[in-house]
Amino acid sequence: MMEFDAQAWVGVAAFVGGGIAIGFGAIGAAIGEGYTAAVANLAVSRNPKLSGEIFKNMLVGQAVAESASIFALVVAILLLFMDRGNATMLKAAALLGAGLSMGFGAIGSGIGAGFPAGQACLGLSRQPAAATRLTTNMLIGSAVCQTPAIFSLVVAFILLFMDFSAAPFNPTWAALIGAGLSTGLAAIGSGFGGGMAAGSSCEGVARQPETIGNVTTIMLVGQAVAQTPAIFGLLVSFILIFKVFPETTQIQTAMALLGAGLCTGFGGIGPGLGNGMAAEGAVRWVARNLPSAADLMRIMLVGQAVSQSTAIYALVVSLVLIFVV
Amino acid sequence: MGDLGRIHQLIISVGGQKLTFNLEVILMTWIVIAVLLIFGVMMTRQRGVLPHSMQVLGELFVGQFYQLTEDAVGKEYVEKYAPLICSVFMFVVFSNLLGIFPHLEEPTKDLNTPLSLGIMGFVIAHYAGIRSKGFKAYAKEYFQPVFFMMPLNVIGELAKIISISFRLFGNIMGGSIIILVVSYLCYSIVLPPFLLAFFGIFVGTVQAFVFTMLTLVYISIQVK
Repeated sequence: MMEFDAQAWVGVAAFVGGGIAIGFGAIGAAIGEGYTAAVANLAVSRNPKLSGEIFKNMLVGQAVAESASIFALVVAILLLFMDRGNATMLKAAALLGAGLSMGFGAIGSGIGAGFPAGQACLGLSRQPAAATRLTTNMLIGSAVCQTPAIFSLVVAFILLFMDFSAAPFNPTWAALIGAGLSTGLAAIGSGFGGGMAAGSSCEGVARQPETIGNVTTIMLVGQAVAQTPAIFGLLVSFILIFKVFPETTQIQTAMALLGAGLCTGFGGIGPGLGNGMAAEGAVRWVARNLPSAADLMRIMLVGQAVSQSTAIYALVVSLVLIFVV
Repeated sequence: MGDLGRIHQLIISVGGQKLTFNLEVILMTWIVIAVLLIFGVMMTRQRGVLPHSMQVLGELFVGQFYQLTEDAVGKEYVEKYAPLICSVFMFVVFSNLLGIFPHLEEPTKDLNTPLSLGIMGFVIAHYAGIRSKGFKAYAKEYFQPVFFMMPLNVIGELAKIISISFRLFGNIMGGSIIILVVSYLCYSIVLPPFLLAFFGIFVGTVQAFVFTMLTLVYISIQVK
């Protein structure tokens, strides 16, 4: 049995974290871009005269969808080549947490950003006159659905660059890994859901370009509510990173903190997706039935609030695990 | 990189209690208020039937937000809530845009600002609900669909404050952390202006709009 010192463990964590970051981070954007290309093919076959425009739009949309994976690449490169200096064991946990956060966090936004890009290509073939409005709407929608990936990036950066050397090792290691998992996992559903709303808004704008004001507004509100689980994940991550935990020799305390991260993380996937579906439906039907926009929006919000209640249960359990247990 | 997450604070001890002032945030908030006042004076000065350019800008802005408010809460409440919605948007958007100027920081980067705005919106929405429906009908909603759901409904309402204020805070603070780290990594060459344009101008404006719309939506759910 070989004995490793802290320095070696920090290196191990950095390499494993880097692998997780770009390995998982590559999943989402590739799926999203593939979807965009598939729908662009459909669009070109419907309206071959516009193939140049559609091709350009596809590339722009794919570039935006790629950004989540580029965040993951940046974090992976930082983990591999960063100057690790004279780090302590706690830094190893922080680096692993950073990799987990960014790796999982890039999945949802990558897939999600593919929907608006694809639907904008299809809309272009259907309604070439609305090209500018479609592109604007696509860019706003896909940029907003990057927000969960940006939250993951923030948590990863904090874990990478903050100095944890003063904190006690035992409960804090679990808190740092839990912080990474919490935002990373919760971002999956929110990114995917936000993309669904953005996709149907591009479709709606193509059908009725004059509804763009209402459609974009409801898309933004729907996406914002669909991001709530990711925000709960971010909240739990911040508590886990910035709260000072007293030193203990017990493993239960550490596991409670890890469990808190896992709980909000997994608990956020479903509500994020469900809220995205609600927003998708509302946006789609607002474009077809503008006079009922106010009713549709109210029903969307109430439905989202109900489907969000499971994320709130997860948040409550996480807070109990952190502050009570 | 040492200033990641550091705040300049003034801590005064009054009778055993510690009062903490985040000096930068207070200063930046006053700058935002001053800018808003200057814009207000410029837009309303020398009003006329033939408007000057600033007046057109102001009228367009106010008209747009009155329309949005009317769509959400209906004709009978628009006069009451539209001024609030306009001022929330103006304050938040100028706060978010302040970060693109050198040496100035967004007041919304500090959790206290979004949280107090969120609590303000929450209190106003619930007060509006009690005023328009009466206390009995308002309280009854917490016992829907069955009476023992009451604690969860209350937590769900309180979670709205968390989600609305952390959304603004997370986006603005996240943007500034990303700009700080990337500037450090690339020695402030080439990339930071583009990041500032994306996070400062684009994300700042979108998030200000989202914050305003959610405040409006929370009010409209309560009054209807």
